[in-house]
Amino acid sequence: MAVSVEIKDLVKTFGETRAVDHITLTIEPGELFFLLGPSGCGKTTLLRCIAGFHQPESGSIHMGDQDVTRLPPHQRDTGMVFQSYALWPHMTVAQNVAFGLEMRKVGKAETAKRVKEALAMVKMTDRADYKPNQLSGGQQQRVALARALVIHPKCLLLDEPLSNLDAKLRLEMRTEIRRICKEAGLTAIYVTHDQKEALSVADRLAVLNGGVIEQCGTPQDVYLKPKTVFAAGFIGETNFMNGTVKKISGERMIISTPEAEWESIHGLAQFKEGDEVTLSLRPETLHLGDASPGQPNVVGGVVHDTVYLGEVAQHQIRIGGDSGRNLKVFDLNPRILARDGEQAASIWVDAQDVVILPRGNA
Amino acid sequence: MRKSTARIIFGITVLVFAVAFLFPLGLVVGKGFFTPDGTLTFEYLIGVFRNPIYVEGLLNSLRLALGTTFLATLLSLPLAWLSNRYDFAGKKWVNALVLVPMILPPFVGAIGFQQILGQYGALNALLGTDIDWLGQGRWFGVILLQSLALYPIMYLNVAASLANIDHAMDEAAENMGATGWAKFRRITLPLMTPGMFAGGTIVFIWSFTELGTPLIMNYTRCASVQVYDALKEIGGNPFPFALVFVMLSVSVILYAVSKFLFGGKAYAMQGKAATTFTTERKTGWRGFLTLLPFLLVISLALLPHLGVILTSFTAPGGWYQSVLPQSVTTGNYSEALGHEMTVSSIRNSLTFSTLAVLFNLVFGISIAFVVVRSTIRGRAILDGLAMLPLAVPGLVMASGYLAFSSMLSNTAWVKSSDTLHSLFDVKTNPTLFLVMAYGIRRLPYMVRSAVAGLQQTSAGLEEAAANLGAKPLVSLKRVTLPLITANLIAGALLAFSFSMLEVSDSLMLAQRQDYYPITKTIYELFQLIGTGKYLASALGVWAMMFLAVTIVGSSLLLGKKMGALFRV
Repeated sequence: MAVSVEIKDLVKTFGETRAVDHITLTIEPGELFFLLGPSGCGKTTLLRCIAGFHQPESGSIHMGDQDVTRLPPHQRDTGMVFQSYALWPHMTVAQNVAFGLEMRKVGKAETAKRVKEALAMVKMTDRADYKPNQLSGGQQQRVALARALVIHPKCLLLDEPLSNLDAKLRLEMRTEIRRICKEAGLTAIYVTHDQKEALSVADRLAVLNGGVIEQCGTPQDVYLKPKTVFAAGFIGETNFMNGTVKKISGERMIISTPEAEWESIHGLAQFKEGDEVTLSLRPETLHLGDASPGQPNVVGGVVHDTVYLGEVAQHQIRIGGDSGRNLKVFDLNPRILARDGEQAASIWVDAQDVVILPRGNA
Repeated sequence: MRKSTARIIFGITVLVFAVAFLFPLGLVVGKGFFTPDGTLTFEYLIGVFRNPIYVEGLLNSLRLALGTTFLATLLSLPLAWLSNRYDFAGKKWVNALVLVPMILPPFVGAIGFQQILGQYGALNALLGTDIDWLGQGRWFGVILLQSLALYPIMYLNVAASLANIDHAMDEAAENMGATGWAKFRRITLPLMTPGMFAGGTIVFIWSFTELGTPLIMNYTRCASVQVYDALKEIGGNPFPFALVFVMLSVSVILYAVSKFLFGGKAYAMQGKAATTFTTERKTGWRGFLTLLPFLLVISLALLPHLGVILTSFTAPGGWYQSVLPQSVTTGNYSEALGHEMTVSSIRNSLTFSTLAVLFNLVFGISIAFVVVRSTIRGRAILDGLAMLPLAVPGLVMASGYLAFSSMLSNTAWVKSSDTLHSLFDVKTNPTLFLVMAYGIRRLPYMVRSAVAGLQQTSAGLEEAAANLGAKPLVSLKRVTLPLITANLIAGALLAFSFSMLEVSDSLMLAQRQDYYPITKTIYELFQLIGTGKYLASALGVWAMMFLAVTIVGSSLLLGKKMGALFRV
């Protein structure tokens, strides 16, 4: 049932713009894969190519062993959950869910059984005879999911499925979608611009920008070891600093920025001395206060501004003197706050948290 | 909006409706159910159904209405679908041209139609045959003419409901494995049914009671003509009123069913459309194939117009058993437009229609305001009341106004005063009743367009004006009205042109030549021996040109929202 989805060198253009620009990607059977990126990055276009609503100019799409590139949407056996849900308002919940089975000429008894199962899976059994407009947004979402699941699709496609729900429901539904996909053992491709959704639910994800994949990997991979300035900036918060590789010695590398010198253990094979690079320092990896002796990357600074949020205090720390720059520092479980005026503070960061990226526009 | 203001408007509107609409309607119904000495009887109603001539007339009218609705749907559905799905060269033009038939009342088109399809007409001359195309199946000729004139109403409704369907609905069907016919039948068709039903109801009621077309086509065995003839003959005959009651019942029941089934609203789509629907571009010969159905329908629909235009330039008797007129002249225009009946009728029509539009503007805006902006309990009733004239055929209203007028002019205090007499007696001066008839019957279009405008204009804008110190009337004048001007102008233009084209009320209520409106004059000119149809055509072309400007104007102003005006 669950199959792999292989995309090879796919290109889709609209007029002058190349929405999907030579994308190659393999999604494993049973994997919950996320396409993540800002609006206009090509993620929805890629998903619609997989569903068959867009015909790519070149490249191929395989599902399992089958080449589906030229197949019309109705022969692809994908189950799609639309952003607007697209529940047919003239049919009841049960009729909506049964429609795909009807098109597949599944027998009446079998249809009834599978509709019941699908509605049970999304916990909507008691709403079978309702019309879509009698349901709340979250309930419509569940029905749309049931409609896509009931046909036992080769691949489940979700197009920003939670974007029309309120924040609380969104949290609830994203764990729910993961549970359902895993229970059914489905290959699923999920499009979103919400990085938290992607980080918390995905098995793997691809960050898209301008029609190309910036990076593909597990959420932890992409978060901790971003490969491009865009990937580092799009997921989570970070401080970027431009600098040059000053020295590489053994397992370590020294990068100098106008404000300070930084030691890192990343990118040793990728860069050579003199390269222009961009540093990415996540705010939560920057620590406030005294470092243990021998600790590298200790920098003096001044607390410039502080936002207290309870579990965390977000400081702006100025390094490099008056002409220097601010770094965002998250202090978890903050005890002492420097709220009034500017106050001297030193910060430090572990060498493994100093991420080196090819120079890019932050 | 303040509740007290809303209640005052509500009260006035209900009062006006009671006097100008419900009461005359009640009179018609009453005349069919009460003997002259005031006892209730069902004899007349039973008599209608016992009289084989009336039964035949009713069945024929029903046949005309069903046929017209069916044919109009057949003509408009494919066009609306093609225009919704595809892009092709010339689309902009044909989209505007499909609406053109609305500029000519079908009964004028009938004149041109007969010139082309009649036994001694152009088609037979072309083919060298002498088939009486319209003779045997004259009812089919009426159906064809009516559907060619009314299909734009259907087209606008269907196009509007297609445009409202979230494209994802369609894609979801494809994703679930449905395509082609299955997808159309199971998803697209049901979703556009409300629009089809809304348009179909209007087309049905219109053609069920249409008077002018059967009259000119000489198809007298239908209920509308029977009522017209019977009312012309003698005042005392109660059977036409009972017949009118039957027609009213059919119309109201159909209207109610349509309201009940679809609530006047398309299915509200959930959420915002995720996918912006891009139409598929057809180029080259594919594009032409897509264009072809439009060209076919448009040229067919413009055939009566062409016939009328040609006839208007034909010297009397100069187009007989020939493809084209044999002798051309502009004399018909000078004679028709110079005719004393014409000069006064143009002035009359302009006066009646302008007054009716003023009536529409005042009441349309007030009603729309109460419906959209107030919270009083009766606002749904008001909304329904304002739409009700759509369900009442012009013929029925005209009968009601005739009865109303004869009742008023027989009272002592009207008889004693010349002023009152000329106000209330249609035989003396039909202005009041004609304005009332035009105004009430076109009110729904005005209310619809004003409501649509107000719904698109956030109440927050008025609140912002109020917050900065503007009194309600000032914020209305400075903020709201400017924002809905386009809707109001479009609604007013439509109301105006429909008033200019109005047939049933005009034929029945205008009884003195110096108060004839244009449509009645066309009909009277048509009946002149020898030169009749040529003069009628010339005046018809004049009216056509005049209305073309107003219709094109309103469609430019409203764009795609035009369809909203023809909803139930």
